[in-house]
Amino acid sequence: MHKTKLAASVAIVSLFFGNFALAAESNKDIDTLRAEIQNMKQVYEKRIANMEAQLGRVEKKRNQSPVSSGKKAPTTSSRRILSNSFNPSVGLVLNGTYSNFSSGTSEIPGFGMGEEGERGKEGPAIGESEMNFSASVDDKFYGSLTSAIVNEDGADKIELEEAYLQSLPGLGLPTGLDIKAGRALWKLGYLNEHHAHTDDFADRPLPYRAYLNKAYNDDGLATSYVLPTNFYSEIGGGMYRADDFPFGTADGENTSWSAFARVGSDIGNNQSWRLGGYLLSGDSKTTGRKSNEDAVIFKGESDLYVTDLRYVWAPTGNARNKEVIFQMEYFKRSEDGTYDDTENSTGEVAFDDTSSGLYVQGVYKFTPRWRVGARYSKLFSPDVPTGLVDSNLDSKNFDPRAYAGMIDWTNSEFSRVRLQYNHEKLKDGQTDKQFMMQYVISIGAHGAHAY
Amino acid sequence: MNKSSVIIRFYKLILIGLFYIIPNLSHAIVNIFACEPEWESLAKEIGGEKVKTFSATHANQNPHYIRARPSLISKAVKADIIFCSGASLEVGWLPLLLQKAKGSVQSGNDGYLMASEYVKVLEKTMVADRSMGDVHPEGNPHVHLNPHNISLIAKELTKRLELIDATNQSFYRSRLDNFILRWEEAINRWEKNSSDLKGMQVVIHHKTFSYLIDWLELTEVASLEVKPGIPPTASHLKGLLQQFKSKSPDVIIRTPFDPGDGSMWLSEKINTPAIIMPYTINGNDNSADLFALFENSINLLKGAFNDQ
Repeated sequence: MHKTKLAASVAIVSLFFGNFALAAESNKDIDTLRAEIQNMKQVYEKRIANMEAQLGRVEKKRNQSPVSSGKKAPTTSSRRILSNSFNPSVGLVLNGTYSNFSSGTSEIPGFGMGEEGERGKEGPAIGESEMNFSASVDDKFYGSLTSAIVNEDGADKIELEEAYLQSLPGLGLPTGLDIKAGRALWKLGYLNEHHAHTDDFADRPLPYRAYLNKAYNDDGLATSYVLPTNFYSEIGGGMYRADDFPFGTADGENTSWSAFARVGSDIGNNQSWRLGGYLLSGDSKTTGRKSNEDAVIFKGESDLYVTDLRYVWAPTGNARNKEVIFQMEYFKRSEDGTYDDTENSTGEVAFDDTSSGLYVQGVYKFTPRWRVGARYSKLFSPDVPTGLVDSNLDSKNFDPRAYAGMIDWTNSEFSRVRLQYNHEKLKDGQTDKQFMMQYVISIGAHGAHAY
Repeated sequence: MNKSSVIIRFYKLILIGLFYIIPNLSHAIVNIFACEPEWESLAKEIGGEKVKTFSATHANQNPHYIRARPSLISKAVKADIIFCSGASLEVGWLPLLLQKAKGSVQSGNDGYLMASEYVKVLEKTMVADRSMGDVHPEGNPHVHLNPHNISLIAKELTKRLELIDATNQSFYRSRLDNFILRWEEAINRWEKNSSDLKGMQVVIHHKTFSYLIDWLELTEVASLEVKPGIPPTASHLKGLLQQFKSKSPDVIIRTPFDPGDGSMWLSEKINTPAIIMPYTINGNDNSADLFALFENSINLLKGAFNDQ
């Protein structure tokens, strides 16, 4: 740029003075020189034209962003900013614990417990490390995949937690209605649809451990619809493969299904609540529900009724600084079928009874980074048929209960460290004092603040 | 017939019934779902009685940290326009609401209006590593505190309203013209009135005032937050104390939703006024609309400046 400018000025100057100097020369010389000069003129005129064009472009650019007098006025930016510029958005959740248990064993007699429902590992251990990929597929669909890398029996395994397709409003369904297909943490109670790393405690409460083996994420299809009422109300339901705990039917013919309804609203500016009722029903006829390391098999129908209530209060209005969360869920399971405890060779014993469980918890954020919480959970054991006396399903009329207290520190939206103490009495004469330290960090896509 | 199939049938019946019973309400009025009070206020200025507005947050809430609570879902479902700051300010909750909202308010449609897409965004970074705190590569989303931005966004909102509610085009246009007239006049007044604030040394809590600082040409000398989104720590505050040992700044400002302890501690130590700026509509008793918000913000800064 500078070079061309310099060359152009030299040319202009030399052209100007050149004419005077050359006046006295002979015609012939003049003709030659004239030709030369003409040549030079052409070359430099071309350069000057180029420069002018360039200058014009620069000026035009400057005019597009006008400089205002005095105070700064912003200019319109034509750039469209998209919230998720990465396609797909990728998120990683790393989660690790150090646990110390006072009791050598932790059993919940009376309830056939799945593997995930048992207490965690003692000593240092990494929990589920989750990987999530999600993106809007196009204007009509959204896809998400979450896989967890877990260590089971000494080997690292990849578990598919969620892999689903969800309809987007662009599909043209009635507003508020969506359909989800694939494998997902289905809407059932409060915790089920949330990934465990977002929980307020390091482990899931007793009813989730006993009734859902931590969470229900069968393969299936579900729909939900937010009704156009003035307050929040949503209904929905789904059909599933009945393969995941608490079911066990791999033939694909006997499906399980669910239905739910929930309502919620605000109380003033700083309080909100949600109340829900859910039902999950299905068969475990062929392979049966396997529990207690495959030693106990339930075959038959089981219905699970869940009620959840959540209440959130931000005392100062700003949940970032202070927040109180109260949450409870009540579970009731009715089963009609047979239990077979192969470990105690009971044979198939007819079972038609109900049991229930609940948990109540409160979490208080008293400064932006610190929270304390307490939780009480309890299971109400079913009666024991004579054929199951002294088996894994004999609760000896004892109702398991657990108390938990936690304190956690949240450095940013993406990292949290937690200390938790559990006092569990899950079996008559067995007290387990558990001490846990946990970290949860997330990397990548910004997570959602679900209610 | 077994019990579960009876329940399925019953359930199906209810679902089908609901689709038909719910009346197809015509758009007598445009529902505007604003994420923040400033946009609700602007929507009222332009839409008048032809719109129904709702703000998802209030002045005491940090709009970045709220949850997609039930009431927001039910409001979002009915929205004809979703009007927010954008630039990732609402990234934690708006996507959840949009999943349930109308097709016409989805990104790229007329009902989806993100203010930061229509103004010059400050503090855009090419690299946003989270060790830098909660920094968004899209830039600073708190765009409403430069009144020139309000004009640009008001014009865009009017365009959207004209598209969505074509029958009332002239109504919106005349309200915009009227608003812009009063607004530009107010800007001139504010700019004249605040010329002495130029270069005023300001300590902020979080980068919520960047646009105001940029507009009034104040000088941001420090931030109480260690890094954006990371709350003040004792060691960081002590560092600030050291920094201001020889020369105190002119003022320490924060929003109604920032915790006050850091501000107040530093204020006392370095003998500098700490003030709570309204930041948005109803952030204090003298900021009921956009005009009052700017008027009051400038008065507060001037008050602190002249106190020295």
